[in-house]
Amino acid sequence: MRDNTLKYLLVMPAVVIVFATAIWPLIQSFRYSLFQGRLTRPGFPQGYIGFENYTWAVSQEPAFWNSVIVTGVYTLLTVALTVLLSLGLALLLVPGGRFRMSIQTILILPFAMSPALIGVSFRFMFNPEFGLFDAFFGLLIPPLADISWLSDPILAFAVCVMADVWGWIPFLTLVLIGGLAAVPSETIEAAQVDGAGGWQVFRDITLPQLAPVLAVVIILKSIFSLKTFDQVYMLTNGGPGTATQTLSHYVYFNGLKYGQLGYAASVAWLMVIPMIFLTYAYAKLVFRKAQQ
Amino acid sequence: MRTATRRKFWRTVQTLIIVIAAAVMIVPIVWIFMAAFKSHVDVYQLKLLFKPTLANFAAVFAEPYKLGDKLINSTIVATVTVVIAIPVATLASYSFSRFRLRGETTMLVMILATQFVPAVVIVLPFFVMFRDVGLLDTRTGLVLVNLAIVMPFAIWMIKGFIDGIPIDTEEAALVDGSTRMQVIRNIVLPMAAPGLITSGIFCFIIAWNEFLFALIITNKDAVTLPIGLALFKAEEGDLWNLLSAAGIIIMLPMFVLALIIRKHFVQGMTMGAVR
Repeated sequence: MRDNTLKYLLVMPAVVIVFATAIWPLIQSFRYSLFQGRLTRPGFPQGYIGFENYTWAVSQEPAFWNSVIVTGVYTLLTVALTVLLSLGLALLLVPGGRFRMSIQTILILPFAMSPALIGVSFRFMFNPEFGLFDAFFGLLIPPLADISWLSDPILAFAVCVMADVWGWIPFLTLVLIGGLAAVPSETIEAAQVDGAGGWQVFRDITLPQLAPVLAVVIILKSIFSLKTFDQVYMLTNGGPGTATQTLSHYVYFNGLKYGQLGYAASVAWLMVIPMIFLTYAYAKLVFRKAQQ
Repeated sequence: MRTATRRKFWRTVQTLIIVIAAAVMIVPIVWIFMAAFKSHVDVYQLKLLFKPTLANFAAVFAEPYKLGDKLINSTIVATVTVVIAIPVATLASYSFSRFRLRGETTMLVMILATQFVPAVVIVLPFFVMFRDVGLLDTRTGLVLVNLAIVMPFAIWMIKGFIDGIPIDTEEAALVDGSTRMQVIRNIVLPMAAPGLITSGIFCFIIAWNEFLFALIITNKDAVTLPIGLALFKAEEGDLWNLLSAAGIIIMLPMFVLALIIRKHFVQGMTMGAVR
């Protein structure tokens, strides 16, 4: 067979699978979003209403805006905290040596943990009677000693953020260690010989060199934060009330618990919009790397 | 002298911070390991010394929890997903890596983009379709939706590995009269094998830990391990000793797999944006 035909035949099965499992559901979800679409009634999707689900979500549903705010604040906090803490840890670990290498190996473990299990373990750690972190924070900040973390809206949100940051620090740290290792040590040494201090070296040499890797990490983390579902479901199930209800959780509840699939699909599609921008930025970074 | 003491001081501070950070990362995991061996009396106390028991592991596999069924489901679903995804992705990656295709960049960006689509968007139509054709609560259905998240990772990751294989041997074999398929089978596959195994393990971990699809698609027969965790939420509160035992069964095999492929973890997760 000629390569010219073969090359298309080789990609065909993969393209078909990606189309069937990802592109088709995306389009189909959009179609649902234009219908009333009650899951429990026959003849789904029924009742074409154009973009009414979208306008309804934006103008009539405080719960939707609540989820937007929860997801937004959650994303900002988790991205900022994870990136800053990981960068710090990466800088501490990058010199290498046996001690630091063994710590790096340990770092793989939390990332192989299922996010659902991370949710469970943080509920365990913050149990008011026998949770280890709960006891620790109680010792550190006495007013928190008798508080049931997961029943307080703000503290429950804080626990969700902590669980997420805990789960992502290891991975981001490993990525940043990779990025830091690529910074040429000659440049750093030359700057030190010229009398540059630690902070100056970091700001003027390390940080600019690390920028592309940092960009990748920030975009990737933002995407995963915006999608968050598993931990929150296992940790608080959106509660107390709707204090930790992320957009994914809101879509899940409206679509599959209340059967309002059309409405849920419209909210899901509203989630896709920021993803398009982030994916575009990410793709640009990946392809720049590929061309080097 | 002064600078030497100061340097020594800073080195100690650094080591201390690293140790604390490592402790924060490891303590929740250790705590779960301990709780899994505690009796249900000991688990409700903050104590480090206790009489270890294997009763929790016996309990989670017995009625009514029957975690063994979920273990089988998880193993089958993750294995079949990988067995489909890796060969298909390998052929596509080879083509993307070695040829210039019309619309190649568009295809690759689309494949990358599907990875970033929220899972809730993808699962809604699958739920409706599976309900209509009777695939709800089946392992087949779960494999199909899992392919949606695994395929893009597999394609991008394997493409990275094949890009790294020098093309010379292939060209020499083609000149000597081998067909393209022979080249793929006899030259590319053996050289890419470590990469393919790494990608396979990586995809296995993703499929194994997958939660949202399994939560929505399954309810009894095809329930996987992560969803099985919900079994241990009882009326009187969470059964932490059993939850921990189940947690170990979920995470221990993944720890082993993650350690095997730890060198390639970063490349896989970032789909080649960071090597």
